[in-house]
Order: sequence, then C-alpha cells, then structure tokens
Amino acid sequence: MSEIKLTKSAPTEDNGEEKDWAAAKAFFDNLKTNKPRPPKPRYAVTIAVSSRTLFNMVKERKIYQDEGLEKYVAYQMEHENEPLMPGAAFPFVQALMNVNSRLRELYPDSEELFDIVLMTNNHAQVGVRLINSINHYDLSIERFCMTGGESPIGYLKAYMTNLYLSKDSDKVTEAIAEGIAAATMFTADTENELSKTQLRVAFDGDAVLFSDESEIIVKQHGLDTFFEHEKEFENKPLAQGPLKCFLEALGKLQRKFIAKNERLNCPIRTFLVTARSAASSGARVLKTLRSWGLEIDEALFLAGAPKGPLLEKIKPHIFFDDQMFHIEGAQELGTISAHVPYGIGQKYHKGKLIEQPPKKE
Amino acid sequence: MSLKNGPTLTARGPDLASISNRTPLEDARMQLNPSTPTRKPKPPKPENAITIGVSARVLFNMEKEQQIYQQQGLEDYIKYQVEHETQPFNPGPAFSFVKALEAVNTRLRELYPDSEELFDVVLMTNNHAYVGLRLINTINHHQLFIERFCMTGGNSPIGYLKAYHTNLYLSADPAKVREALEEGIAAATMFTQEKMTQVSDTQLRVAFDGDAVLFSDESERIYKAHGLDKFFEHEKAHENKPLDHGPLKGFLEALGKLQKKFYGKGQRMDCPIRTYLVTARSAASSGTRALKTLRSWGLEIDEALFLAGAPKGPMLEKIRPHIFFDDQMFHVEGAAEIGTVACHVPYGIAQGVTKKGINDKETSAAPK
Repeated sequence: MSEIKLTKSAPTEDNGEEKDWAAAKAFFDNLKTNKPRPPKPRYAVTIAVSSRTLFNMVKERKIYQDEGLEKYVAYQMEHENEPLMPGAAFPFVQALMNVNSRLRELYPDSEELFDIVLMTNNHAQVGVRLINSINHYDLSIERFCMTGGESPIGYLKAYMTNLYLSKDSDKVTEAIAEGIAAATMFTADTENELSKTQLRVAFDGDAVLFSDESEIIVKQHGLDTFFEHEKEFENKPLAQGPLKCFLEALGKLQRKFIAKNERLNCPIRTFLVTARSAASSGARVLKTLRSWGLEIDEALFLAGAPKGPLLEKIKPHIFFDDQMFHIEGAQELGTISAHVPYGIGQKYHKGKLIEQPPKKE
Repeated sequence: MSLKNGPTLTARGPDLASISNRTPLEDARMQLNPSTPTRKPKPPKPENAITIGVSARVLFNMEKEQQIYQQQGLEDYIKYQVEHETQPFNPGPAFSFVKALEAVNTRLRELYPDSEELFDVVLMTNNHAYVGLRLINTINHHQLFIERFCMTGGNSPIGYLKAYHTNLYLSADPAKVREALEEGIAAATMFTQEKMTQVSDTQLRVAFDGDAVLFSDESERIYKAHGLDKFFEHEKAHENKPLDHGPLKGFLEALGKLQKKFYGKGQRMDCPIRTYLVTARSAASSGTRALKTLRSWGLEIDEALFLAGAPKGPMLEKIRPHIFFDDQMFHVEGAAEIGTVACHVPYGIAQGVTKKGINDKETSAAPK
C-alpha cells in the first residue's frame, strides 16, 4: 500500500490540475497495483461518509465523551490492529462498490463511477485504525479528509460531493444549507438481509426529492386544502428538494446500464415511498419527475399507511425521509434510514407542532 | 399562494356530508365555504381495514395496451400510454366489484363514522411509474376511491401484499396469483370478459364455490380418485368432522365481520353485503358436512345452492354476483359465457399440474 496519497485539494486551474493528474497517473501506473484508480471528482458521483457512519464506533465515542480526547486517542492507538465493526452506511458503501465493478465491466475507461470519500472529524492518529479497518473489509476508499475538528463543508464542495452522510445532524444541516445533499444516518434496530448485487435506494417525496411547499400546506391548512391545491397545480412542477440531485446522479448511472441492454439486470434500483394519496395528489409528483427527465423504478403511494412494513419488503440499503416519525417507524422494522433535516417537517413531531425549539447538543 | 374557493373541481366521490372526522376548526371552515368540494375521507389503517389488492389489468380494460407491450416492447408501450394519458380506460372485470365495495364503505361510514373497519382498495401493478398518470386520471374520471398504489416496475408485488395485510388479491397473471396463494393470501385470477351483465349498485354480492375454494380440496381428491359413491360414503362417515379450510375462507370471514356490523344496527334485511355458496355438491348426500363446517367456523352464508352437478351458469345469472370464485376453469368459463364475472382460484387437485413435477413448491398444504 503506497504511503503517498493523492492531493486532497482540487486545484482551481485546469492546466495545473491536468499536470498534477498526469503525474499521479504515471506514478500509479508504475506501481502496478491491481486496485483500480479512483475517478476524477468532477466525473464521479462522490459520496462522503463519516467514520461513525461507516463503522460502529459507539464504544469509542463513549470513551471520548466520558474520558476526553487523550484517552480516546490512546484507546484507538492501542486497538489499532483491531478492525472496527461495520456501521450503518457499510452495506450502502459495499453496494456502491458492487455497482462500480459492474460499471467497469461495461465501460472500462469511463470515470463515471461512484467515489467514496471518508470525511471525518477524527484526529490523524486514529487514521491508522480506520485504514486498517478499510483494508480488512477490502473497501476501496482511497480519499480521506481528517479535519481534526474543523468543519468539513469546504472540503465537501471541493470534492463536488453528491451526497454526504454523517451521524452529526449539525453538520448535515450545514451541508444542506450549502446546497449539498446530506442526511443523518441511523442504525436499524434489527438487521434485514440486504441484496449484495443490487443497490436499492428509497426516497420520501415531499421535502426530500421535492421542496416542502406542499408539506407546508398540509401542516398549516390540512389535508383537504392540500388535495385541492395539488389538483389545481397538477401541471406545475414542484420545486426541487435536497436529494433531487442524488436521484439524478443515480439516474445517470442507470442509463449507462440501460444503454447496454441491462435494464432488467440493473444493479441500481430506486424507490419512491410517499405518504401521498395516488388519486388525489399523486399526479403532480409523477409529472414533476417526468418534467425533470428522471425515472424512478418503483412508486409506492401509501395514502398515510405506515412506511415500515413496505420498507421491510423493499429492503433498501438506505431510506431518506425528512420526518423523524417515519425514520423511527422504519428503524423498528430493520431498515437503515437517514434523516434529511430540511423543511417544515422539522418543526413537527407526529403531526403536532413542537412547542419549544430543539435543544442543541 | 392563495387558496381559491373550489375552482374547476368536480365533486369527488360519494357525498360524505354525514361524516364527522374533522376537527372543530375544519368544521367551521366548511360552514364558511359551502362551495368547496365534498371532502374525501381518509383511507383506513391497513391493520384495521379489509384490504383488497387489484392489478391494473383487472380494474381496467387494458387489452389493447397489453398487446402493444407484447408485440412491440416496453418502450413503445410506455410511449403509447403517455400519449393517451388523458384518455380514461374502460372498466375491466373487477371494476363493478370495486364500485360495490365503495358502496358498502359509504353505508359503513354512515353507521360507524369513526370506525376503520372498511374496505381498502390498493392498486398493485407491475407497471412503470409513467403509466401511473393515466391510471390516476382514469380513477378520478370514474370517481373511484383508490389512494394506495404500488407500482413495482417489474418486481413481484407479493412482498407488498403482505406488508399491506392484504385480504384478497385479484390479478390477471396466474403466476402471481399462485405465488400469493402459496404465501397464504387469498387470491384469484380474473379474465377479461366480452359480456358483463348488469349488477347491483347497492348490494355487494359475492359467490363462492365450496371445495378447494372455501374448503380444502380433500373431498375433491376422493371424488377424483375413487368416484362419486365413495365420495358420498366418505362425507356421510365424516359428517361431523369439519373440512379443512381453503384459500378463500379468510375472505369470507372478513365479509362476515362487516356483515355483523350491519346486523348490529338492525339492518339484516337491508345488508349491503350478501354471500352465496354455489356448489356442485348434492345436498342430501354431502351437503351436511359443508354446512356443519361453516357453522363450526362461526361463519354464516346468506344463500346456499347445492346443484348436484347441474351447470352453475344459469344459477349465477339469477344471482348476479359481482364476483364468483371457483377452482375449476370449466366452471369459470361457463359463468363467463353468460356474463358473470368469474375468477379462478388455482388451488388444489383440480389444477392437474400442481401435483406433478412442474411445480416444486408444496401446494397441498392449506394456506394460513
């Protein structure tokens, strides 16, 4: 394993970047490593994960909170050779890598792949244990940002990150405010067996793929006004939500498979799981997706039924929703969920307005 | 955005002036704006409701589109559907059944405004999401109340059926129906019929065959293996031993539960659900066991017709059920010829192929 890592910051000038890139390529080619080279950020679909989502670091976190930084670092260094257990984002990352191998089979020279970056607040000394764990599971995560306490948002933008997953809701909120698709990950209570060959991503509709404009109407004026409004504006596309671009990126990769006649065997499958009612408010959703040129593989309109049982059947590697109520329901039945802290849904819990402002940690 | 008063919307669904699921604020608003369209009721929770899963092809007549799909492929099919998006489909075989379910729901809501024990219809279709718009437009055109969709884009819907606690699944695809039966969900294959006679708007009528539909196929096996006389002896000998239950027993149970709600309010004569047993059994020789079995299950059936081998068609023509379940294609076809909506339950020995090698899965175990 080479001790030199590629430069983390992306140079602004194209010429400089090309020269750097050519030099790195030459170096890499000389190494004769059989690990494939990571793609350029601007072509790749970049997913940034934090170390706590990739690995289960609950015990270590407790030591950090109870005993302080020094003890935490010492503990990590002692257990450096002990690989960490998989975390919430682990199956998702494995599925991404599987899609990458399929893409490389079909398009050996393309850079349109998934690229996973580890974006962590951790101290550099902990990096060794992370690297050992990553190698233990044979993940191909070559890009790291160990920010030692600083906010990772600037780096996210530099990497043209398409999706950022973290356990820290403050960072996630900051990322969304900067226009980066982001979500806070939660582990499931039980473990569902997930597909090893197909990446499955489930999205909520309002305030995740779409803006929260309709959600505002429901919360403030009730369901019936909402139905009327949706019918009236059926042909006006909804504004986009924080995760629309990620769906777009997935769609781009899906089309590469479809172009090679692999539609039925596509290793990416997307699901829309919305509490909307089909006849009353579903048309606007489908028309909006169409106007964006996006396809979704399966659309489930629940008309208020609980999402948990259906997600249990879908078995997604990740499920994005803006309301904690649905996240909790999904968790109970073993679905890995990620909360998107966007929109008016944050001020409500189970349909009731939260009286006091949420406490900051 | 301004909230206009009921613009170009037509009144949707049945008139629900008598429901009171609203908060006081909403009630007040309703009085201030009498011209707003009638409110749509909230769909019930799956665990309380009686969930009927229907596929797009049984709810609507999609013969032409199905042909395009089979001959020209998926892309052309989607293109055709999108082009004709605003053109509603014609009703399919399950359409009058679904309309009747809604009529029952209206009556139930009148009597029990807060109950969630209602029929809930879910559209379970293999179709691509783009076709969904045409389906939504058609549903609204015919003023059906179907708010739950599962557009599975090619995947099997069986998992979703279970997640919705589905009590009955109707589809045009016999493979899916068989899969559902194996998973213990009552299911039947429906066929497009040329002739569909007029049925009641106000009373849901469901007709069941006996053996291998309500009851298991144990007796059918004896009849097929040893002949009619042995069958009669066997039934007489085991008169007091209840038959094992068949795939549609659970659905009859669900209907019975709703019927009792009407009886509870003194509406036995006027009950909007009526059930029929239409069996080829002979009453004196083998009928007792069937009736005693039903009694032992605590189930009532409104009308029992023992035909002793006579053709079922003419009887069904008089009954005019919204749907008739039978395990033998012979009877299903006979019923369809005279315009009864009949559907096939692919269960039991009458199917022929289920026992021999083709199907490895075990089918003889009574589901649930």
